[in-house]
Amino acid sequence: MMRALAFAARSLFRQPGRTALGILGIAAVGALLFDMLLLSRGLVVSFRDLLDQIGFDVRVTATDSPLPGGVRLERASEAAAAIAGLPGIAEVVAMRTATGEVMRPDRKTAGAGLTGIDPGIRRPWTIISGADLDAATDPPALVVNQALMDFLGMPFGARVSVRVTCSANRESPVAAPFTLVGVAQFPFDDEAQITGVMTRTAMRRACGEQADDADMLMVASSGGTTAAVRAIRTARPDLVTVTNEQIVARVQTQGFTYFRQISAVLSTITLLFGFLLITVLLTVSVNQRLAEIAALRALGFSARRAAIDVLAQGAMLVAIGGLLALPLGYGLSLWLDQILKAMPGIPAAMHFFVFEPRALVTHAALLVVTALLASAYPMWLVARLPIATTLRNEVVG
Amino acid sequence: MKAPLIDAQSLSKVFPMGGGPVYALRDISVQIAAGEYLTIRGPSGCGKSTLLHILGCVDTPSSGSLRFDGREVGTLPDAARSELRLKSIGFVFQRFFLLPMLTAAENVDVPQAEAGVSKADRKARTAELLDYVGLAHRADHRPSQLSGGEAQRVAIARALANRPRLLLADEPTGELDRANGEHIAALLDRVQADGTTVVVVTHDAALAERAARRLVMRDGCIEREESGR
Repeated sequence: MMRALAFAARSLFRQPGRTALGILGIAAVGALLFDMLLLSRGLVVSFRDLLDQIGFDVRVTATDSPLPGGVRLERASEAAAAIAGLPGIAEVVAMRTATGEVMRPDRKTAGAGLTGIDPGIRRPWTIISGADLDAATDPPALVVNQALMDFLGMPFGARVSVRVTCSANRESPVAAPFTLVGVAQFPFDDEAQITGVMTRTAMRRACGEQADDADMLMVASSGGTTAAVRAIRTARPDLVTVTNEQIVARVQTQGFTYFRQISAVLSTITLLFGFLLITVLLTVSVNQRLAEIAALRALGFSARRAAIDVLAQGAMLVAIGGLLALPLGYGLSLWLDQILKAMPGIPAAMHFFVFEPRALVTHAALLVVTALLASAYPMWLVARLPIATTLRNEVVG
Repeated sequence: MKAPLIDAQSLSKVFPMGGGPVYALRDISVQIAAGEYLTIRGPSGCGKSTLLHILGCVDTPSSGSLRFDGREVGTLPDAARSELRLKSIGFVFQRFFLLPMLTAAENVDVPQAEAGVSKADRKARTAELLDYVGLAHRADHRPSQLSGGEAQRVAIARALANRPRLLLADEPTGELDRANGEHIAALLDRVQADGTTVVVVTHDAALAERAARRLVMRDGCIEREESGR
């Protein structure tokens, strides 16, 4: 095999210019293919990472809706306490969401997405400056993201007026005062999003509501997600549990299908181009060397050996081009990721192109299959070469 | 009586063409003894190269039988004929067909490597052959750095690499000037004198006359056979 490869290498690099162009072509095709493979699962992997990063693996809602804003769960504190007491549960946090207006001292306002949460050990945000939520702060504490902090331009400890809209048909009567305590990074925020978080009690008061309800309970399991879900369903069959896996699966079949389809179509086209490129390169090379191949056959090279030589050339082209494709594709994916992330509504921490070892394996496997298929025709030409006729034509020609 | 190395009986070769079949060989029978030197000449298109290709197992006859060293080879599958050519038959072509990306020594090495000869044995045999054809000093030169005569001598060394019993040469001096042609003719004499059976197809009457036995072909048939120098 090594001899065949060495012989193929000498044959291949006798035309260094053409071979270099061929390798560059395969590298370009391979880079696109690599990017399409990263894109095909990038959002899903990135989304799952973000969910896992939050630290809660089960969501409990009143209805079958994984996202906030559906029918609210009533007597949320009671439900949270009951679930927290179940075996295999580490922590339960009740959460509700609202929209609102945050007002600066100069009376300029900004629309904001607001979250009301019962502060626990785990927080679905990361404090980057200042302090975290504290139920004892008076007026109630408000933690904001950097975009809201930039808008406010106020120091920590300053009073901020927030008008909270708790439901679509009801607005809070007046703006409520809050104490600006910290700046946090929220994993699902996009670049322009304005976000603030307060305690659920503070939100309820700002809304002028009495009901102890929440959009969901966020549950962190300690004995495995499956066991936690089983325990919750047994204790509260009236509630709906959704695991991170289920959310990812749901989003995968709904929101991200578009990217998977684009990836599949572009991968197929890319592979087709790769196939044609390798076939043309090898066929041209074989046609230029017909007499030489016929002479080798006359000297005793078997048809199989001559065909293996062509296959080895194809394999080398693809191996070198495929290796070059990896850094090229990775660089290209960083650039494309920046472009796609500029779309509105995309969380800043999410990525369209995410590297996974399986992408590398699939990339290599697809290139190998392409090389095999693309080499088939020139291999067939060589194996079926009529030796005597070719030698005769060469002399007559 | 000792069996001939080559025993061809009633060989015919027909090429189906658009305007009707072309008969390249018509009922040719020839026997070639081991160690013999045979030349075949005749006008262009008389079928001499076709006969050489069939004798060398690179082509198959449309009818007739071909025995090599007593074994029927006309109907062997392609892989077995390749094996036979690799180990028992050497080819020399008019246009040399040396591999341009390899040196003279590497060109001689290729058939030996293909035959599975060990590296040490290949190296020794290659050096021996290049010395035999007078090109030991050109071992590391590429074909593009060799003259036509030198390239053909390397091609002869390559053809002899696996110690074939039969050396076939198709117009070996066709691309060479007189001096180089004479050099190649002398080398073929020497190959035959050293025990290898040599069959040469040529237009060159002077080269043809060097063989003890000469076939003259016309229209796919052996017109006459001559012997004696």
